[in-house]
Amino acid sequence: MGVGDTLPGGGTSSRSGGIFGAGSPTFLTTKLDFVVNWGRRNSLWPMPFGTACCAIEMMASAASNFDISRFGMERMSFSPRQADVLICAGRVPYKLAPVLRRIWDQMPQPKWCVSMGACASSGGVFDVYSMVQGIDTIVPVDVYIPGCPPRPEALIYGLMMIQEKVRQESLADHQKLRAEDPESVAKPRATEDEIVGLTGPFGNSTRQEHLSSAGASTPEGPLGSEAADITSS
Amino acid sequence: MSEPERNEPEDGPQGEASAGLDALDEGPRPSDPEPDEPGLPEADPDAHPTVRALLDTFEDAVVRHETVSGDQHVVYLDPERNREILRWLHDEPEHAYKLLVDVTGVDLGDGAPLQVVYQLFSLDHARALRVKCLLPLDALEIDSVVPIWAAADWLEREVYDLFGITFRDHPDLRRILMPQDYAEGHPLRKDFPLRGRFSRAEQTRRALAQDVDRFYMPSERAIGREPQEVHFPDPNAPDAPESGPGADA
Repeated sequence: MGVGDTLPGGGTSSRSGGIFGAGSPTFLTTKLDFVVNWGRRNSLWPMPFGTACCAIEMMASAASNFDISRFGMERMSFSPRQADVLICAGRVPYKLAPVLRRIWDQMPQPKWCVSMGACASSGGVFDVYSMVQGIDTIVPVDVYIPGCPPRPEALIYGLMMIQEKVRQESLADHQKLRAEDPESVAKPRATEDEIVGLTGPFGNSTRQEHLSSAGASTPEGPLGSEAADITSS
Repeated sequence: MSEPERNEPEDGPQGEASAGLDALDEGPRPSDPEPDEPGLPEADPDAHPTVRALLDTFEDAVVRHETVSGDQHVVYLDPERNREILRWLHDEPEHAYKLLVDVTGVDLGDGAPLQVVYQLFSLDHARALRVKCLLPLDALEIDSVVPIWAAADWLEREVYDLFGITFRDHPDLRRILMPQDYAEGHPLRKDFPLRGRFSRAEQTRRALAQDVDRFYMPSERAIGREPQEVHFPDPNAPDAPESGPGADA
């Protein structure tokens, strides 16, 4: 007895056979969420933003030994307009921060972000004047992958976590999940307090004055008043 | 960090040292009147024919001569005459230092003068020479050598960016590594705090406020800004032109 026999209206095809064989229905019922999320999670196109050694591991993930095309990700999208997942692999200096932010702003919704490696996630060992202390201060991050650099398995695991996240999404939450404030474009994602607190245990740059004690004091220069504002805020 | 007392300010007529951003406004401190001599002894000038010739030709401009790492000869020159002597080294056929390997800077801290280092190589004679000029911290200016070696262009920009040394007559003396509007000083100086002078929040805000278009050359911007004009005629418009094959037939 075919499945079609139990369905109202027949819906069977005696000519070519249904999806479960001759006499079975030519349609399936399912949840829209499931279908949409199934499509999304199995064709995540990564936007590779590789800046350092993590990018080498990312390339290895795409090569034949590891092969993220098994997960529908073989199409590395070198254009943000056609990408779903931003993989930030490597350290991001402040000079590159607006570039990363602009790429993120250019990606269409729905979009996700993977922070690959210690430097992208937290600045890593580069707790210095030139380095962004974690890209989550600039763009929202869905998955952090630890490692220096992470092995390709770790990247694949992180991308599978993105897939799992996609699977659990509901279209009903679309407005909430995908809300974008035009005012937030090209602005830091984290608040000022969050960013200032990043290097807290080791002393923030405004609190390391005893190390920068070179130079004798003179009356306030052109930057003096601004400097006071910054250090007090 | 282990030796904070080493960074104690020199007590000077200006009084106490300022901290953080204030140090930026003050500019560099003057160098010690008598900086410690480099620990290396004077080397034998006859071991290197160029050094011998330099001493014979520019006797009053050659401050010191020493060797490091065995056979690397280092000559300290009067910074006022650097371009004249380097041009001589470049042009003179017996020396012919046609290859400028590197221009860099050194800050030894503790008020020592900054060094501008020219690493030269003579392909004709297979000879290397390192030339240094010491610049006191309150007079960080030296002649550019771009007229002699075009390769010095970006190298001097890097030294300017990271050490704050001004190269006179440089064709395009801008920052090269740090953002153009970087306001925290020159990062490779010893008096520069490791994490910069602004708070992380301010650094992030300033970074994102950069004009990304300034990263590109005008010619590149012209390509990127070329508008893509695509016109789709509206088929419902009353005066829409007839389209399709054979419309006029």
